[in-house]
Amino acid sequence: MKRIHVVEDLCNGCRLCETFCSSLTNGVFDPAQARIRVLKVPGEERDIPLVDCSGRCIRPLYEDGRPTCVAVCPTGALFYAELEEAMARRLDLELARREHPLFKVIAPWKWPLPWRRPGAEKAAPGEGG
Amino acid sequence: MAVREAREQVILWVDLSDGSVRREALPEEWTRMYLGARCVHARLLFDHVGPQTDPLGPDNVLFLGTGPMDGLPVGMGRMSVACKSPRRTVAEGSFGGFFGPEMRRAGVDYLAIRGQADHPVYLYIEDGRVEIRDARHLWGLKTHETDAALRRELGAEVQLRYIGPAGENLVHASPIFGNLNQSGGRAGCGEVMGSKRLKAIAVRGTGGLRVADYDAFLEAYKAFRERLDLATSRDPWTPVWSTYGAPVLARLFADMGNLMTRNAQEMGWPEDKAARISCEPYLERYVTKAKACFGCPWPACQKLYEIPSGRWQGLKGGNYWAGQPVVFGSLLDNDDLDLVLVLSALCNQYGLDIFHVGYTLAWAMECVERGILTRADTDGLDLRFGCPDKEGLVDLVRKIALREGFGALLALGCAEAAKVVGKGSERYCLAVKGQELEGIAQRNMYMVALGIAVSEVGPDHTRWYPPYPCNPNLVSREELAALGVDLDLRLAFQGRNPQEKGKLLRWFTISRGVVESLPGCVFLVRDTLGLDMRPWWRLFTAATGLEMDYEEFLLPGERVVNLERAFIVREGFRREDDHPPLRMQLEDVPGFGYPRLAPEVFEPMLDEYYQANGWSLRTSVPRRATLERLGLKDVADALAAAGVEVEP
Repeated sequence: MKRIHVVEDLCNGCRLCETFCSSLTNGVFDPAQARIRVLKVPGEERDIPLVDCSGRCIRPLYEDGRPTCVAVCPTGALFYAELEEAMARRLDLELARREHPLFKVIAPWKWPLPWRRPGAEKAAPGEGG
Repeated sequence: MAVREAREQVILWVDLSDGSVRREALPEEWTRMYLGARCVHARLLFDHVGPQTDPLGPDNVLFLGTGPMDGLPVGMGRMSVACKSPRRTVAEGSFGGFFGPEMRRAGVDYLAIRGQADHPVYLYIEDGRVEIRDARHLWGLKTHETDAALRRELGAEVQLRYIGPAGENLVHASPIFGNLNQSGGRAGCGEVMGSKRLKAIAVRGTGGLRVADYDAFLEAYKAFRERLDLATSRDPWTPVWSTYGAPVLARLFADMGNLMTRNAQEMGWPEDKAARISCEPYLERYVTKAKACFGCPWPACQKLYEIPSGRWQGLKGGNYWAGQPVVFGSLLDNDDLDLVLVLSALCNQYGLDIFHVGYTLAWAMECVERGILTRADTDGLDLRFGCPDKEGLVDLVRKIALREGFGALLALGCAEAAKVVGKGSERYCLAVKGQELEGIAQRNMYMVALGIAVSEVGPDHTRWYPPYPCNPNLVSREELAALGVDLDLRLAFQGRNPQEKGKLLRWFTISRGVVESLPGCVFLVRDTLGLDMRPWWRLFTAATGLEMDYEEFLLPGERVVNLERAFIVREGFRREDDHPPLRMQLEDVPGFGYPRLAPEVFEPMLDEYYQANGWSLRTSVPRRATLERLGLKDVADALAAAGVEVEP
C-alpha cells in the first residue's frame, strides 16, 4: 500500500504541505485543519512533519496521483510510495549524501542538474516523490 | 476559528507613551491603490511622519505590516517594516519568516507604533487583543536569548520580532530580527524600535484565510510554481541559487573584477582565497540543515550552520548569502571561513547589521593602513587587512553593539565615524546617504551603481534585484512591449554601457515595489517573473477578488517609488545626494581596466532615470503631472506646502 513517507532531516519547515492541505476541504487556509502538521522545535533547529493521512487527497493539486502535500514539498522530505520503493529511495538518499553534501538539503530525486551530481550519468528529474 | 477574507486589511495604532490602542480597517480602495505592505507603509509614512519628526523621538512611527498575499502559500511570509531613518531617509525593509502569516491569522495586518515607553516593554498580540507587557527581564539579552525566553514564556508556537543589544543601544543601522537569523529594516528600524524601548513583539493567531476565488487561485499557483520549481524553471540559476546559495558569487565575482577587496581598493582576489569562503566548503563543513520562509517553493535558500572545530567550535548561526563573503571576507582580506561565519553569527546575536559592521571595519583598517588611525585609537587592537588578530576582531563586534571603547566610534556607522575622525578619512567610507554599501560591485555593473545611488533607503539591492537578466532569451522584444516594458534588454544588460540603465532601473524598482507590496519575495523574481508580472497579478486578483487590469496592477509599484521619493525630497535630499561613494567616482578599478564612474558616464544615467520616472532632472522631485497621473495630487500639494519646489 502506498503511503506518505517523511524524511525528517530534509524538512525545511516551510509549511507548504500544511497550508495547502488545510485548504482542500473548504478553501480556507488554516493550518489547524490540515492532516499533516509541521512541528517546529524552538531554536529553529528541527522541523518535523507529522502525518495523519492515507495519502488519498480530497482534492489533489495535480492530476498525477501524488497527494498535494507531496507535490508541493520543495526538498523531497515527503514522498508517496510502496514500502519497497520507499526503502530504495532512502538508500539512494543515504548513498548520495556520502558523495555530496548537497544532499543534506535536498533529496537526490528532486535535484534536476545531473552534471552537478558527481557520479550521476543521467538526469533524475524532480518528479517529486 | 475566525475566518477572514484575504483582502481585508486592519491596522492597529499603538501608543507606547499612554498605552492606548486603536483599531482601524484600511479603506478597501487602499488595497486597489497601494496593494499592501511596502506601498501602504510608504503612504502612511508620508502622511504621518515629516521633516519635523525626530527619528528617535516619540513622534516617529514604526510600522510593521503584511498584505493581502501573506498567510497564503505564495506570500513567503514577507512583511515590511518602516519608519523614518535616523539618517532622515525612508527606513523600509522587508523580511520573511513566519511572523507575517501569524499576524494575519491573529486578525491584524499592520502595527503602527508611536510614543515611547518609560521602561522596556514588549507587545503581545493574541487573536486581535493587544497587551503592552513589561520587558525589563529581556533588556540586554541577545536575539537568540530573547527568542528562547519569550518562547518559554508564551509557548513554542508564538511568532516573534525583536531587537538585540545593538538596537537597545541605538547603534547605527541595527535592524529588527526574527526567527533567529532573519532581519529587516537595516536603514535603522531596530534603532527606532530601541528608542521606543520596545524589545519585542510577539503574536499568536488561530484564524484562517479565505481567498475570493479558490479555483482560480489554485490554477494561478500552478503557473507561478512552474516558473520557480527546480524541475520546471527555465532559469538555470534557480536550482543553484536555492541550494548552494549566493556565496557561489564570491568565486564568480573574483574572476570578473566584481569582488570588493581591501575596502574596494582592489576588485579581484586570488582564486584560492575566494574558493575557501565559497559555497562548497560552507555546505561541506558547516551546514546542518535547510530552512525556509513560510510557503517558499525553494528547498534551501536559507541554511543553519555550526562551527565544527577550533576556537569557536559549537557556535551556531544561520544564513550565509552573497553579502557575508564580501563584508567579512574579501573586504577585510580574510579567507578564514570560520571567522567569516563567526562574525556573521555574532552580528545576528547582537542585532547588528552585517553591512554596517563589515564596511566600517574595512574603513577603519584602511585608516590604520594610511596612518589616520593608530593602535592608540583601536584600544591596542592590531586592526589590519588580513585580520591578524581574529579574537580581537570578534570582541570588537561585541564592543560595537555595547558601544564600548573603540566600538563606540564604529557604532556611529562609517559616514559619521569618518566625520569624527576627519583627516580625509571620508574618502575611504563606502556609503550613500549615510548608509553602508552592500555586496555588489558598481564600476563593472552600471545598473548597480545607479540603483545604489538613487535608492530612497540608502544602498539596498532588493529594490532592483537581480542586477542581471534572469534569461533574456525567455521574453522577446515584442512580448516585452505587449507587457508594457519599453526596453532593449540586450543593451540594458550590458554591464558598462550607460544606455538603457535608467529605463531598466525604473522597471526594476516599480516591479519589485509591486512584489514587496503583495507581499512576495524579490528573491523569487526568477525565470520570467521579474519581467512578466502576470502570474503575480492572477494570484492577487484570485485572492482578493478585486477586478483590476494588468496595467492598474503595476501602478502601485510606481506609487511606492514616488511616495518614497516624495518623502526624502521633503527631508531635503536632492539630485546631488544620488551619487555613488567617492571611491567609485574617483578611482579606476586596478587590473581590470574598468574606469571610475566619471560624471560623463553617471550623469546621463541619472538623467535617463529621472526622465523615465517623470521627475525633475535638476532636483529629482517628482513632477506634479506625474503625481497627478498616479492619483497622488494630495502628495504634490503637501510637497508644495512644505516649501519643496514641484515642477509642473
